[in-house]
Amino acid sequence: MITPMVILLAIFVIYPLFYSFFLSTFEISFYKDPVFVGLQFYGYVLDSPKFWNTLWVGLRLALMVVPVTLVVAFLIASLIKTLGKRLAGFLKTTIYIPTVISFVVASVVFVFMYRSQGGLVNGLLDVVGAGPFAFLSDPSIALPAIAVPAIWLGLGVTTLIMLAGMLDIPETYYEAAALEGAGFVQQTFYITIPLLKNVLLFLLVTGFIVALQSFELPLVMTAGGPVEATTTPNLYIFNQFKDPTPYATSFSLTAALLLFFVLGTISALIFRLVRSDKAVDG
Amino acid sequence: MRRPIALRISTYLLVALIAVSSLLPLAWMAIAGFKGRTEVLRTPFQFLPEVWRIENYAQILADSEFTRAMTVTFIGAVIFTVLSLAVNASAAYAFARLDFRFKRYLWAFCIVPLFIPGFAILLTSFVVVSGLGMLDTMAVLVIPGVASAFQMFFIRQFYLGIPVALEEAAMIDGASRWKIFTTIFLPQSRAPFVVVGVASFLGFWNAYVWPILTIQSPELFQIQQYLGNFRSERGNEWGLLMAGSFLSALPLITLVLIFQRYIVNGVRISGLK
Repeated sequence: MITPMVILLAIFVIYPLFYSFFLSTFEISFYKDPVFVGLQFYGYVLDSPKFWNTLWVGLRLALMVVPVTLVVAFLIASLIKTLGKRLAGFLKTTIYIPTVISFVVASVVFVFMYRSQGGLVNGLLDVVGAGPFAFLSDPSIALPAIAVPAIWLGLGVTTLIMLAGMLDIPETYYEAAALEGAGFVQQTFYITIPLLKNVLLFLLVTGFIVALQSFELPLVMTAGGPVEATTTPNLYIFNQFKDPTPYATSFSLTAALLLFFVLGTISALIFRLVRSDKAVDG
Repeated sequence: MRRPIALRISTYLLVALIAVSSLLPLAWMAIAGFKGRTEVLRTPFQFLPEVWRIENYAQILADSEFTRAMTVTFIGAVIFTVLSLAVNASAAYAFARLDFRFKRYLWAFCIVPLFIPGFAILLTSFVVVSGLGMLDTMAVLVIPGVASAFQMFFIRQFYLGIPVALEEAAMIDGASRWKIFTTIFLPQSRAPFVVVGVASFLGFWNAYVWPILTIQSPELFQIQQYLGNFRSERGNEWGLLMAGSFLSALPLITLVLIFQRYIVNGVRISGLK
């Protein structure tokens, strides 16, 4: 019964992974046969200022997306918890709907909303007397402009996961706290956040991993520009794959593997942590 | 406990505010589709069109490339969803209930892909599928993603929670493992199947990078690929683009509305809380 799964994973996941390692030790070029160079390319990648630059872009994007998503999701989840069944159901569905929108459609809509002519965002800013801004062609604000749709797309799932965690906290804790005169803020800091610690950690780490790997939003919205202000690591790798100059293929392959080492290890660790905690409290 | 009126009104306002801001980009997209060619770019913007025109929607629906992309993607997504449920659920059952040789190692083998980002193997996956002669076929879109560590894990978590007493009774009656799987497990699998099935469908429908790498024939263009090309080739026809984008998202929104009860509770099954 597991044979189909094992065979498919072997062909389409495990073999390509080992093949990637193998290829990353060769210098590939269209002009001559591959030459074995050992781990040389790993050195090149780690020495490349461009690679570190894209990593910094990815990290800054994650720093904009993740904290905002977590805080807003926490507040919305806290609100949903207090609502009646029908209103809660309505709100849960409403915030979940953007989650199903594709990156391409989200990119296209936000490019349209950011336009200077007929764009919703500049139109609204004009009402309060600000702008217009050329969001996607100004290097200093292009990255935050991409963070907004990323938050919009990720908020629903984050909220639902937090809400599920909150509903697992026994109501008696809150009743006792309320009897002692603790308000929402105190209950949040002394009950909800400590008991939600693992869920929050899980969301924080997976949120960072996902945001660091953002790729389609910058690809469609800005193609990595202006002046590479929105070239995330994966977009850089993707562009290098297609770059016909010698070494580019080996270089990007190696960069992709290095990211995999780091991100894969982190997500495996967090997975163990969450699971082991689950095992302890039964 | 009834709340005071003021608090109830402000709660409703807050809910409305969150709902509106969550749906605003979608509404803006749908409404822009009803505007005329110059009206859509008018400054300052107007939220609602002066006259509701259906030309954009009519034109995009009459575009055979658009309807073909929608149809082809839909067929692919259905096949993909059915195949992944079959493959992942049977593996999930085996890992939840059966004992077999090398189970520990096979489990590790099947769970490790959870931590491999698609990008680390994008290039070599491409080499593999082109070596298998799958490029530019429906198979290259469907087959490589069918086996999913996440879905298998998710369904297994659910199966672990099903009590064993029922199976033991069936076994005493001489039922085979296969019979137990199809008569006891499958009928109870509705909730997890809806959650991972919807996720499969979404993943296939929204895929962009893999189709643009592997598909060249216009007959097999996927819907996201069509929209991406539209944006780069006819990017100034905003009304049309908005209409097409909105129509492309409609099947997914419908899916969520149909299955909302299962989906919003889905996270609880995973055991990841």
